[in-house]
Amino acid sequence: MTFSPDLIIGVISFIFTILIFSYLIGDNPLFRIAVYLFVGVSAGYVAAIAVWQVLIPRLGYPLWFGSLNEKIFAAVPLLGVLFIFMKASSRLSGVARMTMAFLVGAGAAVILAGAVIGTLIPQVEATINFFDLNAAASRNIGFMEAIGNGSIVLAGTIFSLVYFHFGASPKADGSMRRPKVIEIIAWVGRIFIGITLGAIFAGVYAAALTALIERISSLINFFKLFGNF
Amino acid sequence: MAEIIKCPVCGESNPANQEFCQHCQSRLQPGSGPLKGVDAPIKPGQIPTKKNTAELEPILPQWLRDARDSARNTEQQEGQQASQKPGQTQPASHTEDLLAGLRSQAADGDEDETPDWLASITGAAPKPKKSTSESSEVRWVELGDKADFAQEETAGDAETPSWLASLTPTGSQADEKDELTEWFRDADDSKPTEKAAETPAVDDIFSTSAADDTPDWLRRMAAEDDAKKAQPPSFDSSSNAFPPEASESPDWLRQIAADSPADELKDTPDWLRGMEDKNQSTDSAAFTGPASSEVEAFDPSSKDELPAWLNDQGESAAKPLQDTTPKWLKKEAEDSGTGELPAWLSGNEETIPLPAAQEEENLPAKDEDALAGLPDWLKAAAPQASIFEQPEEKTAAEAEPADASFDSPDWLNTFTTAETPAPEKETPFEVPPAFVEEAKGETTDELFTEMPDWLSNAMDLPASSSPTPITNTDAIAPGELPSWVQAMRPVDEPLPSLSSSFVSSDQTLESRGALAGLQGVLPAVPGYSPTSKPKPYSIRLQTSDEQLAHAELLEQILAAETAPVPIASFSTLRGSRGLRWFLFFMVFVVVIAALLLPAPIFSMPVGVPREVGGAVDVARAIPADGAVLVAVDYEASRVGEIEAAAAPFFDQMIFYSHPRLTFISTNETGAILAERFVSGPLAEHYKNSGFSYLNLGYLPGGQLGIHAFAQNPHIISPLDMSLQPAWASASLEGVSSLSQFAALVLITDNAESARVWIEQTESARGNIPFVVITSAQAAPMIQPYYDSQQVSGMVAGLYGGAVFEQNNAGRPGTARNYWDAYSLGMLLAMSLVLGGGLWNLALGLRDRASAREAK
Repeated sequence: MTFSPDLIIGVISFIFTILIFSYLIGDNPLFRIAVYLFVGVSAGYVAAIAVWQVLIPRLGYPLWFGSLNEKIFAAVPLLGVLFIFMKASSRLSGVARMTMAFLVGAGAAVILAGAVIGTLIPQVEATINFFDLNAAASRNIGFMEAIGNGSIVLAGTIFSLVYFHFGASPKADGSMRRPKVIEIIAWVGRIFIGITLGAIFAGVYAAALTALIERISSLINFFKLFGNF
Repeated sequence: MAEIIKCPVCGESNPANQEFCQHCQSRLQPGSGPLKGVDAPIKPGQIPTKKNTAELEPILPQWLRDARDSARNTEQQEGQQASQKPGQTQPASHTEDLLAGLRSQAADGDEDETPDWLASITGAAPKPKKSTSESSEVRWVELGDKADFAQEETAGDAETPSWLASLTPTGSQADEKDELTEWFRDADDSKPTEKAAETPAVDDIFSTSAADDTPDWLRRMAAEDDAKKAQPPSFDSSSNAFPPEASESPDWLRQIAADSPADELKDTPDWLRGMEDKNQSTDSAAFTGPASSEVEAFDPSSKDELPAWLNDQGESAAKPLQDTTPKWLKKEAEDSGTGELPAWLSGNEETIPLPAAQEEENLPAKDEDALAGLPDWLKAAAPQASIFEQPEEKTAAEAEPADASFDSPDWLNTFTTAETPAPEKETPFEVPPAFVEEAKGETTDELFTEMPDWLSNAMDLPASSSPTPITNTDAIAPGELPSWVQAMRPVDEPLPSLSSSFVSSDQTLESRGALAGLQGVLPAVPGYSPTSKPKPYSIRLQTSDEQLAHAELLEQILAAETAPVPIASFSTLRGSRGLRWFLFFMVFVVVIAALLLPAPIFSMPVGVPREVGGAVDVARAIPADGAVLVAVDYEASRVGEIEAAAAPFFDQMIFYSHPRLTFISTNETGAILAERFVSGPLAEHYKNSGFSYLNLGYLPGGQLGIHAFAQNPHIISPLDMSLQPAWASASLEGVSSLSQFAALVLITDNAESARVWIEQTESARGNIPFVVITSAQAAPMIQPYYDSQQVSGMVAGLYGGAVFEQNNAGRPGTARNYWDAYSLGMLLAMSLVLGGGLWNLALGLRDRASAREAK
């Protein structure tokens, strides 16, 4: 009598699915066991990935089998690794600042440049292009649709930004209120924000529902497999 | 009502404005306070105003008043004398001055630097003074009227302290004698015997008036003095010396006297011979045995040049029974140890005739005894102390000739009367200070006026009193002695360690307050305590009605600011667990039912969203055998949704283009999920089609790694997941940069991951199509990038997969299997959200209606 891997995987998947579903009755040891197992397996897997896919191919190979240039380039991150290891000593922890400064500085530069070039400027241009009828026509977008989409996007952008304007002045009765126009625009902006959050929630629900369907489908498939077995 | 304050000293009541007490003239205000009125201090530069101090006359001490009266009399007499002697000028005396009586004394003090009493003791030659009569008058002026002396003496007798009364040294307790007393006693013996003839008057006074108050030792002194007067001087004519037992001189002097007979007188030191000369010429006429040139040098004819008192002395010296030693210096305790007498005092007389044999035996020891018996303070005070300290030098001085006395100190020269026969220096007691009888015509009362009070009291010794032994019980407690006596007492014992006398006699420990634990804290002055209760002051705030109104308004404002505002809180959902179980049951049942249904309920979506259409176009536009880079960045928990959305895209792409797929992941689990995706959904379609792919594995560094990979992919990821060279494989043939890929496909469930890939590959990917396959939860965030045409197409969630499956030529896919359940679940969710909204609306309308009814 042999057990196919699908059967073993199906049993394990069924058990851990039930353990996770046990969270319906609250936090319990079964749920914790499943969580701890996932965390432990994930940590072990990440460590193995770091060794086999980072240290050995990107540091060990160049140092042992690479050319002189590759060794030199590999020695720089090795030196940075040694500097970061100095954090273990209170007296030598300052040495690690050089490596950390390099990482933070380079990361900040890359992130800022990517955000400006890849998100800020293109999104500003896209918001403006909503009213570009030629561009809309090139994308098979009609006039009304383009104007309507552009108007909604423009209104949603302005009203949503106005909603977050919290400047107010004291009134005669002593209350602090924003100007009436701002109040109205902010109220409309709150609608846009609500719709956006509703869309996000719908997407989250759709993703969760799909995950649930996949799990239940797997259970059904397991039972079908167990029934066939 | 005028306030009255009490004097802190006498306790008498005085007006509050008084600075000083009317009764005792003590200051009524604290000493630290400033003086006021006429008593205000003189400031620098201010000329003092002349004041009439006659009103202060009653408060002066009696002795000062007497001195002032005498000074006035003296001034009048001097004025008369000045009028008789026009050429002689006298300084004007200011009778109104408070210290006028002391001025004449100070003038005398300028002339005579050495006190008379000290000169008489030490033998130092005082400077020449005025005539005897004049000096005596001046001294009487200084010390008071003669008539006042008897009164003072009587008062002094009445006020004799008990310590003096109990002070009775005896021969049996010679070791307990006070050295000061002994010293004065010896000095008393050295007083000329001619005083003895006149002392009966004094003795009578003392014996009758103050016999009970006189100390015993003074009584004994008087008794022995009387005995001396009654007993003829026992002078040994053969030896020209007094009996040894009558001599108080030290043994070493006796030795010297024994070694210096008449024929060996030339070996005697000059200073000693000077002493002999003085003794023989001035003090006693009985010392005529050894006829010497110095003695013969004394010319009685010069008697006319001597002062009157000295003439009297000379006359009295002719009497063999009279002793020239001052009475108070007369050694009254002749039977006491000789070691107690300072040798430099006794050496003036009675020492020469001592037997030589006895002196030879006791000379060294006697010298030591004399030094031992001499107090240290007296050694320092007496210049003759060098005699005892340097006997060898003195022996050497014996061999020197008589003219060697010129090298001797001045004080020694005073004894050499032969070379310097100054009449004033023939005797150390030439000046009639405190211990010498005054000029003729003056009573014995005048004698004691020149003595210190304490010594005058000591002279009040009854002749008939018998010595009383001092016992320990009679010993005077040190605390009872006046401070000045304690200061004068010689200290034989070393000072004890810091005793209580140095600290304070107050042993009270403070138990409260900031000074708790300290000892000897000065108590509060009783006189400065408040005399009346403090005036009560009302602490009630005096406010007007307007101020009260303002304060009330302020309180209202503060109360409004600090008043808690009730926050409208939502009531907790009762039975939330039941509701949770209900929702789970509903969804679970619906999903299971939908999955178990054999026939589909809902049709697949017909319409194609624009973003999905873009993805379809990209999938169909990929050239054949083109290299497609697939970035896998989703979590394992989203496998069901992501695989359902990505499988139709890859199915169509592989179906149409047969691309070379290269997987890379920025997530640690992405590489294994890519393997699962290839071996799972894709394998079902292309199990036998020779589908090949390359997995580059994990790309570390986050955004930095993506940016670096976009710039140089073959350098950043040179190896595949199996550590083989990736860029030499068939999947990456002809590809060395990101822009050389046919398309870039990103599979992610996170909007941030999609944004990073979009941003960091913006400049590197060029015009290659970029399709994002994402989860439904991240689609709203990625949609703007599609609208900005940064993303060519997007497949989001199960809905996107279902749309994509509509273009796969009707091949079944995963989306179809999930679509009924998904559709029912979405309908259920919609109905629950709508039903919940309506329920909430109904509750709101009910609450509003109830609130309206309540109003």
